[in-house]
Amino acid sequence: MNSLVIKDLHVSIDDKEILKGIDLKVNEGEIHAIMGPNGNGKSTLLQTIMGHPSYIVTAGSITYNGEDVLKMSVDERSKKGLFLAMQYPKEIAGVTNSDFLRAAINARLDKNISLFKFIKEMDKGISSLKMKEDLAHRFVNDGFSGGEKKRNEILQMMMLKPSIAMLDEIDSGLDVDAIKLVSDSIINMKNENNMGLIVVSHYERFFTSIKPTHAHVIVDGKIVVEGDSELVMKIDNDGYDWLYDELKIQPVKENRPLVYSLGTCAKNPRGNNA
Amino acid sequence: MPSITIKDNSLFEINKSCTLIIKSDEVNIEYNLKDGEYNILIFNDADCNIVINDKGHINNSIVKLNYLELNNYDYIQNSNVEVDKSSQLFVVSTYLGVNSKKIIYDLVNAGKDTVIDITNNIICLDKADFSLDCIGTIKNGAKRSICHQKSHCLTLDNPKKARVLPVLNIDENDVEASHSLSSGTLDEDILFYMNSRGLDKKAALGLILRSYLMPNDNYYDGFIDGDTIKTLVEGKVNHLCSI
Repeated sequence: MNSLVIKDLHVSIDDKEILKGIDLKVNEGEIHAIMGPNGNGKSTLLQTIMGHPSYIVTAGSITYNGEDVLKMSVDERSKKGLFLAMQYPKEIAGVTNSDFLRAAINARLDKNISLFKFIKEMDKGISSLKMKEDLAHRFVNDGFSGGEKKRNEILQMMMLKPSIAMLDEIDSGLDVDAIKLVSDSIINMKNENNMGLIVVSHYERFFTSIKPTHAHVIVDGKIVVEGDSELVMKIDNDGYDWLYDELKIQPVKENRPLVYSLGTCAKNPRGNNA
Repeated sequence: MPSITIKDNSLFEINKSCTLIIKSDEVNIEYNLKDGEYNILIFNDADCNIVINDKGHINNSIVKLNYLELNNYDYIQNSNVEVDKSSQLFVVSTYLGVNSKKIIYDLVNAGKDTVIDITNNIICLDKADFSLDCIGTIKNGAKRSICHQKSHCLTLDNPKKARVLPVLNIDENDVEASHSLSSGTLDEDILFYMNSRGLDKKAALGLILRSYLMPNDNYYDGFIDGDTIKTLVEGKVNHLCSI
């Protein structure tokens, strides 16, 4: 059985500790909802599992089927079956989706996928996610709307068939119909491949669709409460304040850089520089 | 009809569709291009350095020029193009920075209502010493002229190995002009994104190099035996990607 095990994980970025001892076990076929206020470590957890170089593991372990994930490069983690659908997928101008995905599929095969089979699978995925037909020939996420980027992440997941997939706010930027479409696709994939899922989201609507088997709340870099879909419902109804009161904890306040306008020296086309 | 004149008795072979096979290390070209799209592939695998001085005049025409330069050895290019009589010139150039390369574009809006738009794409590999001066000049009297230039420089190693200088000399009031330059190494987050899909660094760089260096399939249509040239270019790109 595929199993991802995280023990006492401590992670820092720029010498600031974000995760302060996370324990989590995800088996194949399970769907784990990760909730919590912004800036408390949810995305950091997923990025660290995938191996983002900015996140430094200072203590603890991550193993996948008994193998030390922390010793693997990012591409090795992917080839082992880990997948991260990102909150802000990167744009790669000049590289088409078809070239990108075909290279990614070939990277995990001994023999390259045939062009015919690849096109057939990609067309099937594009059609099931109701994406534009020219997607294969467009550059990766370049000029995509927020919703298109998220669907593209799911398309990549479909094609790469991971055994443990992590979805970082994949529902943000999607309208109601798209959320239903994406969540149905995720459930179909899960049923076909018995994949395990770690899902970060703020929305009960999305969790209602994908029906998590486990739920965890991260506050200040620690999992402070665990449960199942009932916990998701309770948080959606009551927020997090009851947790802070009950556990006598305080969330980390998200630090967003202040933005100042320096004004402009550009000439106003209407003639007044007001 | 487009015409190409070879000066200084440089040794050339010219076939019917103007594929030039350069047999000397310094060539001087003068051309007078008419409406159309022209693809110029400068591809030198031999162990010799090349200097190309080209001088163009464009009158009463809309011309698209695509340069693709893939020399393995030192390369100097001096391109001077004068655009006059309501003509429009669109240039897309792509350079592979290996060894020493010095490129100078001197593009002149010589008359009224002329348009020049140039985009330079540069990839600098290890050992590159690349320099590009892109000079746009709008002459006095060239009213309502437009001159835009963009340069993108990707250095895969030391960013100090590339020098790109955008210049605009404007001697007329009633004009539209701009220049922009982006330069840097590969974005760490893009590399992480590609790695997270199973591509190692070499494969990721390979995809990006290809995207810069391999124009679309139509690029080769204008050449005699375009398929052979395409295969040659693909071979070179594959070789680079495997380094």
